[in-house]
Amino acid sequence: MSYKVTEEGNISTVFLDGEIDMEVTDKAKEVIMPLIEAKKEVHINLKEVQYMDSSGISVLIESHQKATELGTKVTLKEISKSVLKVIMMAKLEQILNLD
Amino acid sequence: MSVKEQKDFDVSAASLKEIRAFAREVLSKVPELESTTDDVVLALAEAAQNVVKHAYNGHPTADQMRVEICYENKVLTLELLDKGEPAVPENIKPRKLDEIRPGGLGTFFIGQIMDEIVFKTSRKDWINHLVLTKRY
Repeated sequence: MSYKVTEEGNISTVFLDGEIDMEVTDKAKEVIMPLIEAKKEVHINLKEVQYMDSSGISVLIESHQKATELGTKVTLKEISKSVLKVIMMAKLEQILNLD
Repeated sequence: MSVKEQKDFDVSAASLKEIRAFAREVLSKVPELESTTDDVVLALAEAAQNVVKHAYNGHPTADQMRVEICYENKVLTLELLDKGEPAVPENIKPRKLDEIRPGGLGTFFIGQIMDEIVFKTSRKDWINHLVLTKRY
């Protein structure tokens, strides 16, 4: 997995790339969580994520919950087909903010 | 068309990518499996992740786990063998989907994708022997 972060006003966009599994979830959290804790609105761009398993989905859930707790928002952007399939299998499409 | 292959992997998170690649390679030899390959690879990877996380509690080990993939007579069988802590099948339950929390999804995914999940005890050289089956 690789990533890039861009900032525009109070919105931070995290572009994730590659495969998100148990091996890289800590790294993903290290990138995303501080932005949420800084009360940024966070967009997670998943266009270039080819694979995500339950560990990756857990990161999305934790991010969503932390943002809700702190009064900010996480939105998933440009979700790749394979990731969307897993989100829907977990029946989270009504819970997470998808765009 | 039938195929049967096996491979051993280190018990570590770093092996998950290798396991997925192995599964994709084997499954690609059977054209009728193409439409479900992504799902099946996810199910196998979730099961392997459970070995790393639960059978070994994430601890480093010199042990290896074995993956066996067999397709014949329109039945796909994924077998995962390890020498970690014995699994207690009764305790392995998918989380309820109305509980929105991290964790517990892997077992749910496996159940959604595969038709049957069975723990066997017939391989004496191994501790855990998980058999996932999908009919086509």
